[in-house]
Amino acid sequence: MPPTGVTRPPTRRFALDNGLRVVLAPAAKSPTASVWVWYRVGSKNEWPGVTGASHWVEHMLFAGSPRYGKGDIDRAVVRVGGELNAFTSTDQTAYFITVPREHLSVPLDIESDRMVRALLTDGEVDRERTVIHSEREGAENWPEFRVEEELYQLAFRHHPYRWSVLGSRDDIEHLSPATLRAYYRRFYGPRNAVLVVAGGFDAGAVEQEVRTRFSPLPATGDDVTVTTVEPAARGERRSEISGPGTTPLVEVGWRTPALGEPGTAELVVLDILLGGETAFFSVGTGWRRTAEHPSSRLYRALVDPGIAVRASSDWRYGVCPGLFVVRAQAAARVPVERLEERLFGAVEALGRIGPSRAEIEEVRTKVRRGADLAYEGASRTGFRLGFFSSLRDLEFEDELLRTVLRVSPSQARDAARRWLGAESRAVVRYRPSPEAADA
Amino acid sequence: MPDRDDPLRFEYREGPDGLRLAVQPPPAGAGSCSATYVAPAGWSFDPAGADGCARAVNRLVTSAAGPYDRIALARLLDRTGATLTHEASPEAGEVTIWGPADAWRPLLRLLAEVIRRPRFDAPDVARVRRQMQELQLRELRQPGARAERELLRAIFPDGHPYRETGAGRPETLARLTRARLVAFHRQHYEARGALLVVTARAPRVEIEREIRARFATSTEPPATPPRTAVPSRGSRDHRIPLAGNSQVEVRVGGESIARSDPEFPAAFLANEVLGGRPLLARLFQRVREKDGLAYHASSELESMRWGGYWVAQAGTGADRYGRVLPELVEEVERIRTEPVGDGELNSIRESAIGEIPLSLESTAEAHELAVDAAYHGLPGDHWARWPARLRAIGPKEVRAAAERAYDAATQTTVLVGPIGRR
Repeated sequence: MPPTGVTRPPTRRFALDNGLRVVLAPAAKSPTASVWVWYRVGSKNEWPGVTGASHWVEHMLFAGSPRYGKGDIDRAVVRVGGELNAFTSTDQTAYFITVPREHLSVPLDIESDRMVRALLTDGEVDRERTVIHSEREGAENWPEFRVEEELYQLAFRHHPYRWSVLGSRDDIEHLSPATLRAYYRRFYGPRNAVLVVAGGFDAGAVEQEVRTRFSPLPATGDDVTVTTVEPAARGERRSEISGPGTTPLVEVGWRTPALGEPGTAELVVLDILLGGETAFFSVGTGWRRTAEHPSSRLYRALVDPGIAVRASSDWRYGVCPGLFVVRAQAAARVPVERLEERLFGAVEALGRIGPSRAEIEEVRTKVRRGADLAYEGASRTGFRLGFFSSLRDLEFEDELLRTVLRVSPSQARDAARRWLGAESRAVVRYRPSPEAADA
Repeated sequence: MPDRDDPLRFEYREGPDGLRLAVQPPPAGAGSCSATYVAPAGWSFDPAGADGCARAVNRLVTSAAGPYDRIALARLLDRTGATLTHEASPEAGEVTIWGPADAWRPLLRLLAEVIRRPRFDAPDVARVRRQMQELQLRELRQPGARAERELLRAIFPDGHPYRETGAGRPETLARLTRARLVAFHRQHYEARGALLVVTARAPRVEIEREIRARFATSTEPPATPPRTAVPSRGSRDHRIPLAGNSQVEVRVGGESIARSDPEFPAAFLANEVLGGRPLLARLFQRVREKDGLAYHASSELESMRWGGYWVAQAGTGADRYGRVLPELVEEVERIRTEPVGDGELNSIRESAIGEIPLSLESTAEAHELAVDAAYHGLPGDHWARWPARLRAIGPKEVRAAAERAYDAATQTTVLVGPIGRR
C-alpha cells in the first residue's frame, strides 16, 4: 500500500481573531519544547533602496523592546539552557527558541512581545549596520555566494527575487532606522505569522497560554503578496565573473512554476534525479544532508569521469516563480567550457530520453524513506510544521508526497523538456582570478 | 545498575578481539538508530611521504565495500533510508551510519562491511584524489581555511601530530597508490582498541551478538605519534594577504591541554566565558553586541587525547580588523589573569548544563555525546554527572585553568584576507 501521508505527529490547530495561526504538536515524552514563529515576510517584500530589510529586521528582533532590553532575550533563553536563532529567506523569516520543557513560558513570552513591540532604535540599528556588513563580507569570501548572487540577478530582471537576502552593499550602508522601523511595523504582525509549539507539553494548557499572550496583539501585518510578474525569458542569458577561488564553477538556473503550481511534483523528481535528493523529503538528520549522491545523474556525468569535484541540483521553490539550479565545480585543470558542456549534456539527456522506470522507482523509494523519518525531536518538528504551514498548510505536505510518488518517467521527461531548455536558462561562469593562484 | 532507558547513561561492553564497545539507549520517542566506528586512523598516522593517506582512506571506506560498488552502496542506503558519513581528525578516523530504528541489525552489518571490506576501486581512488587536490587549494586560497592552517603551523613545531590538516601535498597525493591505502586501512581500521558506539532500541544481548558475529580486529594498535614539548620557534605574527576577498579572518591561538587533564572541566568553563557559549560569551558581547565590529566572534578549546589548542576568532572588514584584533587579545589576557565574577560564571555554567536536555531531542545528537565520552574513555554516566562536576568549580579554579589552557608562550596571531603586507 502506498503511503497516504507523511509520518507526522498529531497536531491541534486554531486561529486567533487577530489572524495569528497556531499549530500545537505535543509529544509527551519529549524533554524539550520548541517555539517557532514563521513570518511570511522575506526579501520578496523589499524594493530597491531597502534590500536586506527583512534580514536586518531579523537581527533587530533580538535587540530590544520595552520589556526586553538589548541582550535580555538571549540571556533569558540561554540561562535556562535553551537555544535560539533565526533565519531569513526570499519568502519567509523564522525565529525559533528551544528550551527544556519546563521553561516553555520563556519563549512564548518573548515571541508575543517582539511580534509587534520591538523598538529598532536609531542607535541599535546603526550599531547593527557594521555587523550586517560583516555578515555579507563573510559570505563574499566564498565564490559560491558570488555566483549565486549573480545568477539571481541574471534570472530575474524585475522580480524582487533578483536581490540577495542579505541586501546590497549600498542599501546596507544607507538604509535609515526610520525606514527599517516602518518596514517592521508594516509587515510583522499576527496576520502574517504562524506560531508553532512542538515538544513536551499539555496541549490544553498551552492553548490557553497562547490565547492569553497573543490574543491581545493588534491585527497588524500588511498583505505580503508580490504582484510583480517576471516576463518570460527570450533567450539564454550569460554572465562571467572572476574572483578568489580554487577551480572554475558553473551554475545554471531556469525559472519554474511556484511551489504548489502545476509542475511542482515533476520538479521535485527532477531535483532528485539530477542531484540525488530533495529538501522536502531528504533522509538524514537535517533539512538537507551534505553527503554525496553517487547514483545521481550529475554525479555520474561529471564527478565520476573526473570533470568535476562536486555537482548538485537544487529546486528553489518559491511562493513566486521558482528557480531550478544545477551547479558544478571543476576538477583541477579542467577548463570551464568543458565543465559547462558536460553540465548541459547531463540536463539535456534527461529531456531527450527521460529516466528509466528503475530510476523513478529509486526516486520513490528515497521520498518514502525521507517521509518516514521527517519528524524527530521538537526542534525539527517545529521547523517542518512551520515551514509547510506558513507556505501553504500541513495538508500540502501530504499532497506533495502523494503527487511526487505518482510522477511517471514520461512526465519527468516532459517536465525536463518544458522547464530545463537551453532557450530559457541563465548561466554564470566563475573563474578564479590569477592573483588567487599566486597566494 | 544504570537506567536502561537513559541516553545519558551508556554501558561499556567487551567487543570481539579487543574492540571497545559502548551501547546507548536512544532518546524517548526517537525513530532512528546510529552507530559509529572510531579507529586510530587520523592523519597524524600518515606514513612518511604519504601525507593525505589517512583522510583519503577515511573517505574511501564509505565509498564502496564488499559486494557493493559506490552506486550499489548508495542505492542500498537509499532503500534502507540510511546515511553513511565519515570524519577524520589528527587522531582518529570515524565512520557513522544512521537510519530507521527498526533497521539497526542490517545497518550494523553494513557498517561492518564498510569497515572491514572497503574496495578501494581505482575510479574511487582517482575521484578522492581529485577532491583532495581541490581541498588543498581551498586551504591556500579560502581565508577561513587558510587561517586555520597557518595557525596550526605556527603553534605546533615540525613533526607534531596537530601541525597539519591532513589534506596532504600535491606530490604526496600523486604518489598514493591503492596498495598504500589498503595497507593503511589494514593497520589502522582493524587495530585493537578501536571503538564502536551503538545507539539503538534493541536488547543489548542481541546487539552484542550481532557485533561479535560481524566485527573483528587483528592488528596491534599503532604507536602514538611522538610529540615534542618544544614550542615552535617561528614567528608569532602572521599576515597573509589574499586579494579580492571581502573579509579578514582574525585568529589568536596557542597550545592547550588534553581532554584527560584534571583541569579540563574548569578550562571548559573558562572557554565558555571567553567565547564558547553562544550569545553570552565575552567575545560575542564585546566585539559584536557592544562595538558592532563583526558578525562572528568566538573561541574554541580543542582538547584532544594527546594535547590541544585554543583559538579566539572573528571575521571582519578590512577597515575594522585593526580594532578587532586588540579586543581578542585583551579578552584572552583577561580570562588568564582575572577571576570571573560569580554571577557571570553561574550564568554561563547553568546555560551549559541546561543545554544537555536539548542534546536528547534526537538519536543523532544523543549519539554524539556517547561517542565523545567513549572516545575519551570517560565513564558511561559522564554526561549525567557533568552538571555536578561543573557546579563544583569556582572562579579561582577557572582562572587557574585558563592560565594553563590559554598557553601564552605559544600565543600566535594570524590575519588572512584583504590586508597589506607588513
